[in-house]
Amino acid sequence: MFPVNFQKRSKMLSNTKSASGGNKINIIFAGEGGQGILTITKIFTSAAFKSGLDVAYIPSFGVEQRGTPLVAFITLDNSPLRYPKFDVADYVVVLQSRAVEAVSQFISPNTKVIFDSSTINFALLPKTSIQLFGIPATSIATSKYNPRSFNLIILGYLSKVFNLKPDLVFSEVMLLLGKKFKSKEAEAENKEAFYAGYEMVPERDNFSKAVFKPRQGAILVKGHGKSGEILPSRCKGCGICIAKCPVAALSFGEELGVLATPVPKVDLERCIACGNCRNFCPDAAISIDKI
Amino acid sequence: MGIKFLTGSEAAVLGATEGGAETMFGYPITPSTEILQGWIEACEKDKKLKFLQTEDETAAGFATIGAILAGKKAFTATAGPGNILMQDPLSMAENLRIPLVCIVMQRGGPSTGTVNFSQQEVTLSAFGGNGDGLRVVYSASTVLEMYKYTAKSFSTAWKYRFPTFVLGDGHLSKMSAKVNISPLLHPIPSAALLKEKISPTFLRNCFSSEESFYNDRLKKNIEAWNFAKNSIVESEQYKVSGIKSLIIAHGSVADAVKDAVDTMRKNGIKIGLFRPITLNPFDSTKLKTLASKVSRIYIVESSLNQLSRIVKYELSGIKTPVIEIAKPAVSFTSDEIVRLIKNSK
Amino acid sequence: MDKIIPASWRTQTKPDFFCPGCGHGIILKQLGYAIDDLKIQEKTTFGIDIGCSLLAWDFFNIDTIQTHHGRTTPVMVGYKMSKPKRVALAYMGDGGGYAIGLQSLIYACFRNDPITVILVNNGNYAMTGGQMAPTTLPGEVTPTTPDGNPTGFGEGFKGPELLSTLCAKNAYIARATVSKPLLLRSVLKKAIKNQIDNNSFSFVEILSICPTNWKLGAKQCFSKLADVEEFYVPSEFSKKEQNVK
Repeated sequence: MFPVNFQKRSKMLSNTKSASGGNKINIIFAGEGGQGILTITKIFTSAAFKSGLDVAYIPSFGVEQRGTPLVAFITLDNSPLRYPKFDVADYVVVLQSRAVEAVSQFISPNTKVIFDSSTINFALLPKTSIQLFGIPATSIATSKYNPRSFNLIILGYLSKVFNLKPDLVFSEVMLLLGKKFKSKEAEAENKEAFYAGYEMVPERDNFSKAVFKPRQGAILVKGHGKSGEILPSRCKGCGICIAKCPVAALSFGEELGVLATPVPKVDLERCIACGNCRNFCPDAAISIDKI
Repeated sequence: MGIKFLTGSEAAVLGATEGGAETMFGYPITPSTEILQGWIEACEKDKKLKFLQTEDETAAGFATIGAILAGKKAFTATAGPGNILMQDPLSMAENLRIPLVCIVMQRGGPSTGTVNFSQQEVTLSAFGGNGDGLRVVYSASTVLEMYKYTAKSFSTAWKYRFPTFVLGDGHLSKMSAKVNISPLLHPIPSAALLKEKISPTFLRNCFSSEESFYNDRLKKNIEAWNFAKNSIVESEQYKVSGIKSLIIAHGSVADAVKDAVDTMRKNGIKIGLFRPITLNPFDSTKLKTLASKVSRIYIVESSLNQLSRIVKYELSGIKTPVIEIAKPAVSFTSDEIVRLIKNSK
Repeated sequence: MDKIIPASWRTQTKPDFFCPGCGHGIILKQLGYAIDDLKIQEKTTFGIDIGCSLLAWDFFNIDTIQTHHGRTTPVMVGYKMSKPKRVALAYMGDGGGYAIGLQSLIYACFRNDPITVILVNNGNYAMTGGQMAPTTLPGEVTPTTPDGNPTGFGEGFKGPELLSTLCAKNAYIARATVSKPLLLRSVLKKAIKNQIDNNSFSFVEILSICPTNWKLGAKQCFSKLADVEEFYVPSEFSKKEQNVK
């Protein structure tokens, strides 16, 4: 079941150079906790293992279940590995702006930095990162597939980078995420996203604009006898206000909140200023009253 | 004040009031129950003092922390299995630099062992909890020292902000002796740790990353410990002039050793005693000086090797042979110590 | 009219680290408004546990102490004894209150210690990944009840009901829910006033939602909460009259 051809194994890593010398490849995955980064890491390392590589991996995170950067340390090799923490990474894969600070210390001029150019402004990356590979994954996912599939696009691209068979990687996707694909259509869509990532040519310069980032400032609303505010800087996109609005005046809009997820927009004509959105919002991010 | 005939427990209670204690929380456990009882009697006489018998030792320790956060000089007392439970609040105190005073009257262990006596709670008191042992441990060897060091523990704790133990044992707790109680130095004032200021105080003991925990908490605690320990450390040297061999002992065992030293000296044996009074921090400077002068060191303790481990760590590099005279959970008489040392040659 | 954010909330630490849609946010907001309404911000001390409640360590502009698991109650008991004029709040989850901290909770009630305990019931141990809690409903699947919570373990832990059998006559014991935030606020105010005015124990269990471990979106969370409310009934529990000996 697993490829046992030794020559094939060593070939897999032969075109990826180790910055630390030797055959060991040090990789960091970093993203927003709760955005699927942990699952993508599990799929990747499991697929690498099933491809016959030696893999060691430690996820690094604190007490919070959500909302803080998650940094995963991964090492790949042809021979038995030990403790996968390192000072300098050969590859850094960073998917959200808030995770950039957490990974800066691992980036040297020899590090290849793969990033989602549609959520991270390349200028935010540390000066030491000179080998940049931009994949506008969120932009492509949102326009062509579904927003959450940005992870799969990245995963597809990484399969190419590390010479993993895409079919094998996607079967791992099905194993770990298959239950979440609600329909055959959803599964096909996600598969397409993954293979699109596999075929992707990364941006080396002229990076996409980082539009998928949190909106600064408050969104002030006024009209139809009501006024109020929505604060993307505090909105986590939980959707409670939308669920609790008795007149369906709230729905997810285009602007992004603090976790780079959509924040609600209000139809002031429908709104009856009942106060539910304010009363229920766990983050004090919305309030609309009668003038 | 003046000459009194007291038990070790009674002396501890007097020491607490002398040290400025205001509140005690405790759970009855032999042989420390008398301290709770004695404190309650003190509360009857002085209505400003408070107490509560809690539902268990963990609650006693944490309620003590609550009172300290409010700025009260609060303390607790326990023994054996109670000391084990006490490590839960004590390690919170160690993390947050809370001046928690805990009197421990050692009993036989592990487990419920005996209610009588031992010196087996040294490691637990000095290095228990899930930290690196930034706690002050005084080992009292006489009824008078139960008074003196209980009083002192409040000043040490509140000045340096480390949890502070006073170790006694079951024999000391029940032993009656003539003591001369005199007032001690003016106690250090206490202050609320939750400061009630416009800028609020946030006290947490859990951090999200290794780096932030080390930089914001552990490093500072360790620096404070290193800065303070030379001022805290205490030891006694008994009849050490011209010694050829040295005994190291602490607590009530050391008191018996003093008699043994007197006997041996009368018989021309050039032997003396080094008695650590603080087991943590340990007075290694003074010990090393003495150790370099002798050809033999005896460690006498009522535990397998809890004192010995500390001594050997502090003496590492010194080549003098060390002989362990250990009787876990069993007390010594001074005659017995003389015999054991004689026979160990 | 309420402002968008309670005055007692610390804006510098927002957004907080609670998961999106966490019931804690709803509760802490109503608690914040309650503190504002009662004008007690400057005389309140807030004790929290180590579960998800830990994330509130710098949440309010109020002195806050984070304790070990299940030990918030005894810390606040000792604190209040030493500072009787301050308002002592002990905030915890179902594990900190009904499992490891149950003994101290019962004794604080039994002794009628004048503190206010606020317990967040979301039916699981959320911070550690959703394991069974005393309040997990019969049949629920969790990581530690993979075949569904056996009913042999007891039909869900009913804390306010239990405490109401032990409490003093003038203690205040209640269960509220995040499905009714304004009612929740008035229950919290009643509980706190019971501490201030009657120098007595008060306890509020609050039924809450956990989108992360329930693995549900906002709307389904509130549907599930409605089912939970059939089992754990929101109410006030007055002291039952006992026979005089």
